Amino acid sequence: MMLSRSTFSRNAPRALQKQCSAAGASSRRGMASAATPGLQYDVSESAGVKVANREVAGPTSTLALVAKAGPRYQPVPGFSDALEQFAFKSTLKRSALRINREVELLGGEVSSTHSRENVVLKAKFLSGDLPYFAELLAEVASQTKFAAHELSEVVLKTLKYRQQALAANPEALAVDAAHAVAFHRGLGESITPSTTVPFEKYLSAEALAEYAQQAFAKSNIALVGSGASSADVSKWVGDFFKAVPSGAQLQSAASKYYGGEQRVSTKAGNALVIAFPGSGAFGTAAYKPEASVLAALLGGESSIKWTPGFSLLAQATQGFSQVRASTQNLTYSDAGLFTIALSGKADQITSVGKNAVDLLKKVAAGEVAAEEIKKAVALAKFRALESAQTLETGLEATGSALINGSKPYQIGEVAQSIDAVTEAQVQDVAKSFLSGKASVATVGDLFQLPYGEDLGLTV
Amino acid sequence: MSAPSLASYIVKRPFLKRWMMPIAQWYTDASGYRRLGLKADDLIPEETDVVQKALKRLPPKEAYDRIFRIRRAFQCSVSHTLLPAAEQTKPEEDVEYLSPIIREIEKEKQEREDLDALVVRR
Repeated sequence: MMLSRSTFSRNAPRALQKQCSAAGASSRRGMASAATPGLQYDVSESAGVKVANREVAGPTSTLALVAKAGPRYQPVPGFSDALEQFAFKSTLKRSALRINREVELLGGEVSSTHSRENVVLKAKFLSGDLPYFAELLAEVASQTKFAAHELSEVVLKTLKYRQQALAANPEALAVDAAHAVAFHRGLGESITPSTTVPFEKYLSAEALAEYAQQAFAKSNIALVGSGASSADVSKWVGDFFKAVPSGAQLQSAASKYYGGEQRVSTKAGNALVIAFPGSGAFGTAAYKPEASVLAALLGGESSIKWTPGFSLLAQATQGFSQVRASTQNLTYSDAGLFTIALSGKADQITSVGKNAVDLLKKVAAGEVAAEEIKKAVALAKFRALESAQTLETGLEATGSALINGSKPYQIGEVAQSIDAVTEAQVQDVAKSFLSGKASVATVGDLFQLPYGEDLGLTV
Repeated sequence: MSAPSLASYIVKRPFLKRWMMPIAQWYTDASGYRRLGLKADDLIPEETDVVQKALKRLPPKEAYDRIFRIRRAFQCSVSHTLLPAAEQTKPEEDVEYLSPIIREIEKEKQEREDLDALVVRR
């Protein structure tokens, strides 16, 4: 291809000009983007169901049903998994195959997932098909058949594969184990029952149908939309969700942090998770923005290609090529878990684990440059805002906030609260981690992997 | 799976049904499977995919009872005896337990074929 010099030179100044003016406008706007239409959710209630919607200009929309029915609220193990798998299976009106083919004809995409607290049924579609998908979600929520043969032929089989996938992932096992020692019941339930859990004896189609009645009761669900106009969404939700049963919310005891140590022997690989009581979701009493800043500061994974990045753990693991480190602050509706996860070769995990605890001690002693903390604040802010903006995380967070009655995500306030985090606060939170009880989960070759005590933690 | 039958034609007409029922009952009884303790659904040929699938969908208790009846009937057949009257299947016990599942599976199969042959006009 030949680009003549004259074409290029003719357009270049114009492109440059355009870019400059755009940059000027956006920099002047600054954080006023909180008011930008499209990122703020309109919250309403129709037919007794809480609805949040944001109007984003575009040809496609997303509608998600968030139900407070994750493993935290399940009466017996395996129910949330099975409930999630039963989404879009045969209903009283049409068969699973028919739902499948209809969705294919309309060109949509339906999926279901679950986290520790919520089961999320999600539909993505062309905006014109909103009524169809609103009806489909209502039908799935209230009229799923829970046929015994679907349980044994489809759901149980998939569940078994999932268990195997979990068993092959030492880091996921370690995160589950860390939750179990940190919170015992409730949040401590594992996301998917591990291969050794005798869940089959609890699982029956009838019991599951009963659980679904409570899980998809009007007060226990929220609908979160993105794309279509708010008036349309609340109209169609109001029309189709009338028949959904009303009932009390599923309850679980308030989360309490215990801490402790768990060691699991496996041949699948090695992982070490060091966890501390972290920050809850925004708008809850347990919200501590400094924990998310500390997570960004310790880090471990780079957000830029071809460089380890500024984070302390990334710097500390530079000599250890066989180990992956990441720090996260997992937020829940009334608690949070701050986790440092290491996976890879056992001997390297041991050394990096010691380094990680030393780094935490360094932060607690205030021996970290102010510049680093500024970078961490910026990264934490970016992560918080980005997770609210992207569909996958934003829909569930908004739905969960609506059901639990806390404030829905307010982008401006979140940004402010993270901006306001000071060095002293980060230092304090690191100190509180070291003085309190840690939760340590070790999975893999236990002969080599260290105990929490060896790392210099109190467990 | 089913042979052509006039049953539904007759059942829809009460007067015909009144005439035919005694004959039907006599015929069923005379066919003799009840004296071996079997039910009519035990006689359905197993060697098709549909029936195999239906058998897998039977509740565990039903499946166990079915195998018990078949083995007992086999024993009777081998020893050229009939069951004592108390153990023979009574007409009110001779209910469909497998056919509804077979019909459901056939419906699913039919639906799949229909959907595969679907022509979409927009």
